Amino acid sequence: MNILSLITFLPLAGALLVLALPKEKERAVQIVSLLFSGLALVLSAALFFYFDRQTSDMQFVERLPWIPSVGVQYFLGVDGLSFPLLLLTTLMTFVSLIASLNIKNRIKEYFFWFLILEVGMLGVFAALDLVLFYVFWEITLVPMYFLIGIWGGPKKEYAAIKFFLYTLTGSVFMLLGILAVYFKSSPHTFDLLVLLQAHPTWDRTFQIIVFLAFYLGFAVKVPAFPFHTWLPLAHVEAPTAVSVVLAAVLLKMGVYGIMRVSYGMLPLGFQWFLPFLVVIAVIGIVYGSLCAMAQSDMKKMVAYSSINHMGYCLLGIAGLSVTGFAGSVLEMVNHGIITGALFLLVGVIYDRAHTRDITAFGGLAAKVPVYAGIMSLACFASLGLPGLSGFWGELLCFVGAFPRWKIYTAVSVIGLLVTTAFFLRMLEKVFLGPFNEKWKDLTDLDARELCALLPLVALTIYLGIYPKPALDLINATVGHMAGLIK
Amino acid sequence: MQNLGLLAPEIALSLLGLGLMLADLLVPAKASKLLYHFAWVAAAVALVLIARGLSVPGGLPAGGGLWVVDAMSQFFKLAVLLSVIMTVMLCLEYGQLPPAQAGTFCALLIFSAVGMMLLVSATDLLLVFVALELISVSSFVLAGFERSNRKSNEGAIKYFLFGAFSSAIMVYGISLYYGATGTTRLVDPASAGLWLPALQSQGPVFSLAMLLILLGFGFKAAMAPMHFWVPDAYEGAPLPVTAFLSVAPKIATLGALARVYMILVPAAGLEFTTLLALLAMLTMTVGNTVAIFQDNVKRLLAYSSVAQAGYILIGIVSANALGLEGVLIYSLVYVAMNLGAFAVVQAVGDDGSRGGLGSYELAAFDGLAQRSLSLALLMTLFLLSLAGLPPLAGFIGKFYLFAAALDAGRSASGGASPAVFYSLAVVAVLNSVVSVYYYMKIAYHMFFVPAPSGTQAPALHAGPYLYACLAVAAAGVLYFGIYPDPLIANVKLSVPQLP
Repeated sequence: MNILSLITFLPLAGALLVLALPKEKERAVQIVSLLFSGLALVLSAALFFYFDRQTSDMQFVERLPWIPSVGVQYFLGVDGLSFPLLLLTTLMTFVSLIASLNIKNRIKEYFFWFLILEVGMLGVFAALDLVLFYVFWEITLVPMYFLIGIWGGPKKEYAAIKFFLYTLTGSVFMLLGILAVYFKSSPHTFDLLVLLQAHPTWDRTFQIIVFLAFYLGFAVKVPAFPFHTWLPLAHVEAPTAVSVVLAAVLLKMGVYGIMRVSYGMLPLGFQWFLPFLVVIAVIGIVYGSLCAMAQSDMKKMVAYSSINHMGYCLLGIAGLSVTGFAGSVLEMVNHGIITGALFLLVGVIYDRAHTRDITAFGGLAAKVPVYAGIMSLACFASLGLPGLSGFWGELLCFVGAFPRWKIYTAVSVIGLLVTTAFFLRMLEKVFLGPFNEKWKDLTDLDARELCALLPLVALTIYLGIYPKPALDLINATVGHMAGLIK
Repeated sequence: MQNLGLLAPEIALSLLGLGLMLADLLVPAKASKLLYHFAWVAAAVALVLIARGLSVPGGLPAGGGLWVVDAMSQFFKLAVLLSVIMTVMLCLEYGQLPPAQAGTFCALLIFSAVGMMLLVSATDLLLVFVALELISVSSFVLAGFERSNRKSNEGAIKYFLFGAFSSAIMVYGISLYYGATGTTRLVDPASAGLWLPALQSQGPVFSLAMLLILLGFGFKAAMAPMHFWVPDAYEGAPLPVTAFLSVAPKIATLGALARVYMILVPAAGLEFTTLLALLAMLTMTVGNTVAIFQDNVKRLLAYSSVAQAGYILIGIVSANALGLEGVLIYSLVYVAMNLGAFAVVQAVGDDGSRGGLGSYELAAFDGLAQRSLSLALLMTLFLLSLAGLPPLAGFIGKFYLFAAALDAGRSASGGASPAVFYSLAVVAVLNSVVSVYYYMKIAYHMFFVPAPSGTQAPALHAGPYLYACLAVAAAGVLYFGIYPDPLIANVKLSVPQLP
């Protein structure tokens, strides 16, 4: 079995094992889940050393006929665009599973669904056949529905079904898009690599229509304005670890789809849409940050900041330059790590205080110094302070977009300012000022929480000081991609 | 009579059915389970017989052109017999059937299956009619089999009245067909096995005849707006019967419809595509939107089965090879997923008759995940397959049908405009989204709502036959979903060449 299949399906094996365990054996369920997810992490980390950074070709390719009668293949492979996201997925899932050890009810089901979710996410980034891609894409929906709906907050059922229906509506149009390109290509194929070469023969109208079909699927996932309304709700209601993977990985599927499928396969449609895309990106940046500013619920604030950060990614793409693309991919990875940490931290305080209201706290820095320190670091990273990882992604996105979209880029800088403002305001209200005596029993991070957070903190600092390892992974591929459209 | 041997499975099954009827007199009520076992074994034997002779090259006309045995008809027969076997499995676990009439019950089930087998083989409108009546009359009685249950009676009466009405319409259509063409045959006996290349008359009488026959089919397959008997008949019927009715007659009728409307109508140069497309859209939309508001799971699945027929119609409307393949694939996977879903419903509902909490209300599914995680997960599997989510069999079916619509739109020449097919595809995908809402409503009750407090929610009792049925269904849904190639390869061999 090839390495990518192994990574993708290890969590599935874990999930089936979990299902076979009796539900009283909670410790065993947790150990099995961590073990299988951890193995996937170790294997993908090992790939890091084998990954060829000089080429833009697909690597670790694996190709088998799956439904030969209609030309569907089991076709996996990664390049500089998908490999960083694959790494991010295994890392963030593992971290989330550690954070999930405090789940108290229906443990077996929880870990079962979580592992299935990991299979779907890994598959999306590894698949190079459009039907396979779609299958994995849809697989993520069901576990997410149950994870939000069973273990979530007060309005969990509503949030769960809203998430499900929104994303499904988008993705069924994507399915029509997939079928359309299948019939347009000759010979008919779902092979993404072949389809990426086939577009010169496709007329512009066709490309635009199909682009829109795909865009619906991807934009809902990103989420790009105006399809973003499911996100704050899903985030607020979801349990901590689910918010972490939702922000860190699931949103990236949308941006990844736009870069991998729409951009390369439908260049005419993409060029037609470009003016709209940049506007949507700027709206995401400015509007997302303003919404975040208006929140007093920390989790909602972080959720809206995700919309804002996804706007940076879209802006980077709209720049159509090597720098912009690299920035976009880097921003995806960094945002995954940083926002994952932020959601974990918000979860920590919610576990203890049962509130996430910014105004309910005050002066906590003295009481919980470690927590305050890590929170400040994550916030600074998220608002793009140089020296921390968030900075590089944002910088490259802006630099990449500026030559083509001077005014839009300038406008979106407002978003940067507002982001800084709301993070600083949150830090001030929660950690500084007079101590609120109500929280005198608050305890600092425990070992489990630190285990989940420290890898993320370490990466944030490391990639902030030395982003080259990440960029090395990305560069060859984005360099090739940027050359596709002149 | 030529080639009577080709009808051997049907003849054998009919004789066995007659035997079963008599068996009521001989077998004591205590041993009535024996008859059910006899029935499913009979169906299984017929299934094996047909499966062995599946590789029919071209098609073998028989009865002087009354019926044809080709790979397509055999495929549908397999699906029908499979659903008979699974239904009998459900009956074995179902508490409310009177043991004294087990033989009659099984016989009617078998007769109705024979009707379906004749229907998918029929190439003569009279045989189509007789087969449809054989299905219908057996089904009317089956639907009313719980005689002490008023809902069962009401449903059966409604079913009967509308059924008789639709038969009359259809017979009128057939008589007009005869008037227009001078024959009731759908094939040309002279060039045995070939579809009538050109009909003698293509005037308005012929068009009207085809329209009325379509109406008749529409009633039987419960297409909107001819579906209004469905919820009551399905709700009242004993659950295994509901499960059976929602699957077998539907796919048999659609199979026959596919034969008539994909092959004959284009050959006759008639333009029914737009009408059929509208019917398909209406059927999907009505079924799905009304299903949202149901609180009774039997009714919910009844409306969902209306919608499912709408999806299958896409394949017929598309009238291309992909579409016909889609009809076959979807029919078979529909048997697995719908009967599987009904099996879980029975496990929950029949619990009530054993003094448990069960009923067919949605509320009875509260906390099923805690009472039996395996049943809840299986139900989720079937529901997601019905909704068309990958990697389950329902997805492959829908994938084929949507592909057929887009392909038909791409290569539309003359006749219906591509827009018809494209809007059909769009309406279909939107409908899949709507359907997720109400399928997930069941999942919501199973997983999100805690079991009613006070009672110490007992674990569900479900017997071995029910689990056998579930196992077959789940295996089908997963296998055809993950590795559909053998099925597709078979189906490709089964569809006749389109003109």
